[in-house]
Amino acid sequence: MLIRLTGGEIIDPVNGQSGKRDLWIQDGFIVDKPEGERADKTYDLSGCIVMAGAIDIHSHIGGGNVNTARLLLPEQHAAHLPRPADTPLSNAGWSTFTTGCLYAQMGFTTVVEPAMSPYNALHTHLELADIPIIDKATLTILGNDDFLLSLIRDKTSSDMMDDYVAWTLASTHSLGVKVINAGAAAAFKENVRAFSFDDVVPAYGVSSRKIVKTLQASVNRLGVPHPLHVHANNLGIAGSADTASVTIDATEGVPLHLAHLQFYGYGTEGKRKFSSEAARLAEQVNNNPDVTIDVGQVMFGQTVTISSDITRQFLAIGNANPKKTVIIDGDGNGGGIVPYRYKKNFYGSLQWAVGLELFLLIDDPWRVFFTTDHPNGAPFTSYPELFELLMSRDARDAKTAELNASALELTTLGSLRREYTLDEIAIMTRAAPARLLGLKDRGHLGSGAIADIAVYRRGRDIAGMFREAALVFKNGELVVENGKVVHLRWGKALRLKPTPDKAMVRRMQAYHEERYGLSLDWFTFPDSAIQRDEPFAEVSCSS
Amino acid sequence: MKALTFTLRAQPEERLDLSALIPDRLDGMSVAEIAKLRIGTSRRPALVGDIFKIRGENRSHIIFDGGSRRFDRVGAGMSGGMLFVAGDAGAQAGRRMSGGMLVIEDNCGPHAGSGMAGGRLEILGNSGDYLAGPLAGEMLGMEGGVLIVRGKAGHYAGDRMRRGVLAILKGCGDYAGSRMIAGSIVVTGRVGAMPGYLMKRGSLLFDRRPETISPTFIDCGRTDIAFSGLFDRYLIDDKILDKPLLGRKPGKYGGDNAVLGKGEILFRMGR
Ligand SMILES: [Zn+2]
Repeated sequence: MLIRLTGGEIIDPVNGQSGKRDLWIQDGFIVDKPEGERADKTYDLSGCIVMAGAIDIHSHIGGGNVNTARLLLPEQHAAHLPRPADTPLSNAGWSTFTTGCLYAQMGFTTVVEPAMSPYNALHTHLELADIPIIDKATLTILGNDDFLLSLIRDKTSSDMMDDYVAWTLASTHSLGVKVINAGAAAAFKENVRAFSFDDVVPAYGVSSRKIVKTLQASVNRLGVPHPLHVHANNLGIAGSADTASVTIDATEGVPLHLAHLQFYGYGTEGKRKFSSEAARLAEQVNNNPDVTIDVGQVMFGQTVTISSDITRQFLAIGNANPKKTVIIDGDGNGGGIVPYRYKKNFYGSLQWAVGLELFLLIDDPWRVFFTTDHPNGAPFTSYPELFELLMSRDARDAKTAELNASALELTTLGSLRREYTLDEIAIMTRAAPARLLGLKDRGHLGSGAIADIAVYRRGRDIAGMFREAALVFKNGELVVENGKVVHLRWGKALRLKPTPDKAMVRRMQAYHEERYGLSLDWFTFPDSAIQRDEPFAEVSCSS
Repeated sequence: MKALTFTLRAQPEERLDLSALIPDRLDGMSVAEIAKLRIGTSRRPALVGDIFKIRGENRSHIIFDGGSRRFDRVGAGMSGGMLFVAGDAGAQAGRRMSGGMLVIEDNCGPHAGSGMAGGRLEILGNSGDYLAGPLAGEMLGMEGGVLIVRGKAGHYAGDRMRRGVLAILKGCGDYAGSRMIAGSIVVTGRVGAMPGYLMKRGSLLFDRRPETISPTFIDCGRTDIAFSGLFDRYLIDDKILDKPLLGRKPGKYGGDNAVLGKGEILFRMGR
């Protein structure tokens, strides 16, 4: 089937100037205009803008911790009643089903679950396979696991380290590696409750810095397209800007991605000893081309924080709202679920402003990524409002009027007049994520790209425009029309597929037998465990 | 003015959500408007007029002439006025009510008075499980008001209760006052196993010694306190009981020491 999209304004910074041109779709891909052929179906997109499908690089949409959060907060499901008449599972608004539909309605077509514990890989992939429409991917957590810490302690060769990382990527079917508060979860088991970049894990004698540098080097040598994804130490604490700062300085010429930098943008100035250091961090990011960051913007309202940073979550128990939590001191990272309500008080206002400062002060839209760290800063359903804040200073001014003035005085937000252009939005949410993740087949609208296309009706209401896409195509199939899902299909999970070293497989077998008394087969699984036709798609490594 | 009366035409064929038919929400509505309110919960939901004949004017005095186990959420969210059900009610009768008076003349289902914060709810028959308790995931059960069950109550009566008075006159199931935070629960008649299970604070007041109790409660012997006489008088003055409950020097257990342990079970001695 040949589809022609005509009359729309194409926003595709990778392939040149924005402007009106036709787009052609054939067999799921964008193609050059076929000579002498007529379209089977033509869409008139006058008054619309056309972008590639958006890519979310950091959103907790599935896996053990997400599921535990659902169990902890059953009342969130009741909040979605009365049920819309004709969706399955509509009484559970937080289901995999709604996750896929809600993302697609906003024009998002690929989403990365950034924190999959290796032993949760099967559960995570089963859950992701149940999210309709969009493609998914995962990042595997390493860095608090006994095996890796032992390798570092024993000064094992870098080859062995690479074999272990490659084996983990292969056996968990993931797209990259994440490290979460490196070493802190291992130290937590020894009753350590505060842990910084140069602190040392008891019993292993390795520092957080050493763990990060080891993994960063391995990921780089293996040619994993996505740089090591770092959730730094001291998240959310006043003065955490210093931790972020030393972490940024530690890139040393090798790429590194810092997750949800907003949660590290805090200094210790002011009456409450809680202030914004966003301007300093933004400048540091601007001056260090090795580093990419995503923001983790805070928006106001009820949410739940879901993190494998057990140290942080344990310390946050007292802030839980409603007052209930789950803390799992599990293998490797463990994790914690702490519900939280962001209020328009001093702290909430400051956090909100810090995120926006980072967005507006980091010059290069190729290196700052659009996230709320769903659901930690806000649910992903708040993205439309966030687009509006970035694209309209009037919207920001209107919002600041509702917030705590003394908090905003500690920030530079009032002086920032920048407004994101549509081209910059397209880079930040399409082109740059595709490049960061090594997905050459998407993030742009050039010939040969997968036909993941989002069409928005231009209007004065920016949030409305991004909340309900006029049309969304996934692999050339029309899935959303006028903000409503019109067709359900199953996307794939994108993974690297390095061939694991045979000696490492034997070593992992022996390790699992000895440590858990269980065969390695309990922890790994074949593709056929996911009951979908072709549940995975491969992304290639760069070397 | 005559009471606004909903006369049941026939037993409904689906569960009904009657939370729309309370004084607060019907104030100022015409009979025709009321008849068009949607109360069914199925794919083709029934309207008020399909189920009831409507008569009367007084929006603050409502009567359901005839009840059903399918009448869910009767009086839910009401904050004033009077509402009578001449018959049975389903789940969540009087849920989150904050004022006024609700009377169910027969039996009702689970979660009656769930999270109620004020007003008076009387059930003349029996009630189901989770009387006054929270729905799944909610942190608090009953937060105020008076809830009286003249018959029996099911399991977990007063779960996570925080304030108010809950009285059950013909005995209750297991785990009465489980996870209680504060407030008072009166039970006359036989109490099931493990009353006060994981209660932090609050009072369970019985007319007899409970038969099985968690080992994390401590027998405190007899107590000579003014409270028992005062509370007995309140129960009679408020027409909840017609004779004293605890008497002088009731027996006492303290617990549940598996949690905070500041709760108490007081009971009449000598039976
Ligand atoms: Zn995250």
